[in-house]
Amino acid sequence: MIEIKDVTKSYDKIKAVDNVSVTIRENTVFGLIGTNGAGKSTILRMAAGVLRPDTGEIKIDGIPVFDNMEAKNNIYFIADEPYFFANSNAIDMQKYLSSVYREFAADDFYSYLVNFGLDKKRKINTYSKGMKKQLALICGVCSGARYLLCDETFDGLDPVMRQGIKSIFASEMERRGMTPVVASHNLRELEDICDHVGLLHRGGVLLSRDLEDMKCNIQKVQCVFKTTDDEAKAISSLDIMKNEKRGSLNVLTVRGNKAEILAVFATVNTVFFEALPLSLEEIFISETEVVGYDIKKLILG
Amino acid sequence: MTSKNSFLASIKENNKRRLWVWMLSALFFVLAIPVEISITISRQMNSLKLLTDTYGAAFAGEAMRERLINSMCGQLGFSSPLPVLTTIIAVSAGIQGFSYLYSRKKIDFYMGMPVKRSKRFLIIWLNGIILYVLPYFLGLLISLLIAAGNGAVDGRVLFTAFAALGVNIIYYLSVYHMAILALMLTGNLVITGFGFFVFCFYEYMVRYMLQGYRSLFFKYFSYHSMDVAPKVSPFMWYTEIADTFSYKNIINIKYFAALLVFALVIGVISYACYLKRPAEAAGKAMTFQITKPVIKILLTVPMALLIGGVIADMVDYEPATALKGGGYVIFSLALVVVIGSGLIQSIYEFDIKGMVHKKSHIVLSGVITALIFLVFRYDLFGYDAYVPKPEKIESVAFIPSDYETIYGGGARFDEKGEYLSEEEYAKKYMHLTNAEDVCELASLSMEAYNFLSDTTSRADAMVFAPGNKWSTATLLYRLKNGREVYRRIWVNVENEQTAELLDRIIGSDEFKRGYLPGAAENLMGILENTDRYKVGAAYGNTVYWEELAREEIKEFIQVYQKDLARANFSNVKENLPVGMGRITISEEIKGRGYGYFSGSEYAYSTRSWDVAMNVYPFYEDTIAWLKEHGYYMEFQLNREDVEHIQIMNHNTEAYNELMQKQSMEAGAVLPELAGGDIAAPSYAYGYHSTLDYEEDTIDTRVYADYTDEEAIDEIVARVYPGDMVEGDWDFGVAGETDYTVYIYFKADSPITRKYGSSMSINYMFPEGQVPDFVKEDTLYKN
Repeated sequence: MIEIKDVTKSYDKIKAVDNVSVTIRENTVFGLIGTNGAGKSTILRMAAGVLRPDTGEIKIDGIPVFDNMEAKNNIYFIADEPYFFANSNAIDMQKYLSSVYREFAADDFYSYLVNFGLDKKRKINTYSKGMKKQLALICGVCSGARYLLCDETFDGLDPVMRQGIKSIFASEMERRGMTPVVASHNLRELEDICDHVGLLHRGGVLLSRDLEDMKCNIQKVQCVFKTTDDEAKAISSLDIMKNEKRGSLNVLTVRGNKAEILAVFATVNTVFFEALPLSLEEIFISETEVVGYDIKKLILG
Repeated sequence: MTSKNSFLASIKENNKRRLWVWMLSALFFVLAIPVEISITISRQMNSLKLLTDTYGAAFAGEAMRERLINSMCGQLGFSSPLPVLTTIIAVSAGIQGFSYLYSRKKIDFYMGMPVKRSKRFLIIWLNGIILYVLPYFLGLLISLLIAAGNGAVDGRVLFTAFAALGVNIIYYLSVYHMAILALMLTGNLVITGFGFFVFCFYEYMVRYMLQGYRSLFFKYFSYHSMDVAPKVSPFMWYTEIADTFSYKNIINIKYFAALLVFALVIGVISYACYLKRPAEAAGKAMTFQITKPVIKILLTVPMALLIGGVIADMVDYEPATALKGGGYVIFSLALVVVIGSGLIQSIYEFDIKGMVHKKSHIVLSGVITALIFLVFRYDLFGYDAYVPKPEKIESVAFIPSDYETIYGGGARFDEKGEYLSEEEYAKKYMHLTNAEDVCELASLSMEAYNFLSDTTSRADAMVFAPGNKWSTATLLYRLKNGREVYRRIWVNVENEQTAELLDRIIGSDEFKRGYLPGAAENLMGILENTDRYKVGAAYGNTVYWEELAREEIKEFIQVYQKDLARANFSNVKENLPVGMGRITISEEIKGRGYGYFSGSEYAYSTRSWDVAMNVYPFYEDTIAWLKEHGYYMEFQLNREDVEHIQIMNHNTEAYNELMQKQSMEAGAVLPELAGGDIAAPSYAYGYHSTLDYEEDTIDTRVYADYTDEEAIDEIVARVYPGDMVEGDWDFGVAGETDYTVYIYFKADSPITRKYGSSMSINYMFPEGQVPDFVKEDTLYKN
């Protein structure tokens, strides 16, 4: 488990991370979402032990991370622009990483290279940007570290590759309980990867939720009530997050599980009723609007 | 799984990323040095035939071996290429090894790895040393093998080569750590380079500035009191070590220890900075916020003062008399403070707009600069007024500048036989206990000189004050509290009260033993050390010389030293010497003349010095001894040797009048002659230098030739060799500098036999000794 507790970090006089507390549980894919400058990279760099927090503490499985080998052995950090040695190839990287990560899986490494179609002898500086990101992910996955911290690593990867990475994540999570933490400024890119999402804005955490929980706990309902009394009764019985009325059609975003909500609607008369699935985007819009933010402006563009 | 995270594996991995520095080091040491050794040996061998033809096979073989050994000592020892290569590799290795700290990408990678900071530092640091030491050692072995194969290795070569290896490694560590520290304090390659440059030259800049200001503002500043050369500098220490080794064949422990301590201290500081260095410093100008204003002020203030000093020099700023040029100086100080502080801020921010940020730093730098300037300008610490109380003085050294130093015979030695200048010797051996007289002389001279310099410019004060003749002397007050204070004073040697004090000071045995080369106690030790020195002696007058028998030299010096008790300031000033003794000391420096860092005297296989001693008419015992042994000469010029005489009169007075007239016609006024209330120059400081016949259209020289017996007799009776009547510190009996007497010797005279034919030798008339007929014959008539 990665525990980030009351962490603050400033660059000169600019506060990049302001009193953030997040807990990243094991064996989940944690998505860290936020605008540019929200503090995602800073949090990941602190979690990787690259930066030292000004205040607060970050622990990996209960051990402070900064300059602590016991903790850092369990972390692999892939920066937004991954670094590879000058004029090196994949073999050089494997040799180096094998010298620093005690459990680096060299066989898996070469096997993944073949699967991803990466030439192990080709100089990395001739790789495309996407290929470099794939190689960085392979390095991270094979390092044996339990926590893989990926900063914008999925941005720009094609859907096939994303699916490939997702399946690797799934198998590694299954096999050894790997916990990927993926930072991105694009919510749509994380939707099909993450189990849990933390939303950062201006250095602070707006929310941190399990995606399944969020999906199960928010429902979207379209309905036309027979009478205004029915409408009033239903609305008073539900935890309404948002109510858009288009003529007689009500589009309600309601907090609660589907069964409970359907039970409420069973007690009132409706002309038309339909429960709709919510996209991750819609869930975030609803959740952040509640706390006074317009997420469309923040991360959806 | 076996742990691969071993230290050696990390070293190996790190080395893969330092290949070009390895290449550089290997190229220098494993390739270039052995090749250079081979070429040198080959070149030396080429001269073997010439040596054999010239000196014979036996001597040629020995000479060749000596040459080869010397060459090897030079090239594998403290020769100039090695420290230069060492510096290049140290800076390259230091910066390349830790250059990942400049890049956020690299920092994210390396610092994300499970490697402790301390371990990473150790790996990079150690590799930086290995990549120097290993190729150096290998190259040295190869070079020694090549040299040994050619018979160019002996114990001396091995000792020199391995001593140099040891010193070079410590020197390497010093420079390497300096480069690392510069990198740790900065976040950008260019700024690191600038930082390293500042480390190298900062002390020099501050010392140069301080010396310049003391010299500019303090009338009595002595250059002996401070050295511009940095005290804390691996480069200086290395030079000292190399220099000492080149002529003593020993490692100078003091400087070696300094180098070692410096390397350790800078290394520890670098390591501490590394541990404290935040990752986010990558790419920024400075790593630590707190260092920004400190470094800015530490750079801006001395830089402003330094440039202010340069401007003061350019505009002839004279702080003592008035604010002549002061406006320029103050303006330049302010300008450099504003621009310097702004420029550094803009470097910090990588934005030219930063010039106008942090105005408080500009103000603070300005205030400190102004305070320092005012301290010097108004002598707030009373530097120029300082004369210690005699009861606080342990001893004093009174060091006149070139007193009784004649005919290049000013060599002095310490007890080990090493050469010392007059200042060094006096500092070490002159301990005048009569501090009252020296303090009184200092007060008197300073008071008189202050009066003059307050009324006219400092340079003019010496020349234009009527009846005054000023000479400089350095005073070293050794205080009872252990402090040593230097002052350079101007002494009016024409003043009666001064002369009385000088009689007691210069007349003292302590002064003579601590200053006069012929009175030095160590001289006897040199004469007795016949294994090391060859000694010869002569008595004469610079033209005529009589060689003293070897066994008589010591006796002569003893008689001379005894006679010195008769000498004081006044009687030496009032008399011309009748002759001089000259001791020539030479030392073979076989095998030690290879030091690149040594002075030129070490470049020769023999070095020699002269000790000259004036013999005055009142040195009765010396003259009696010389007469008794048949060395004394009753003449300065032997009439029998003279064929004819030519005299040239410069007619300086006429020249000056014509020059003034010419200038007036051209519309200019000679400033020194324009002021009616200022006395005419006394010509005390070589006024004749203004005569430049090559450049001037005016030529007032008049020649007269004398061949008749009577005229020659009279001239011969009056003239002295030019070197015997040269101007001296005491402004004693001087020569008539307007007249040059060319003596042409007969073809069969001993002088012609000695110096060659068609030779004329310059003689001079002592003051007031020019015969009337000569004056008349050589007068310039327009």
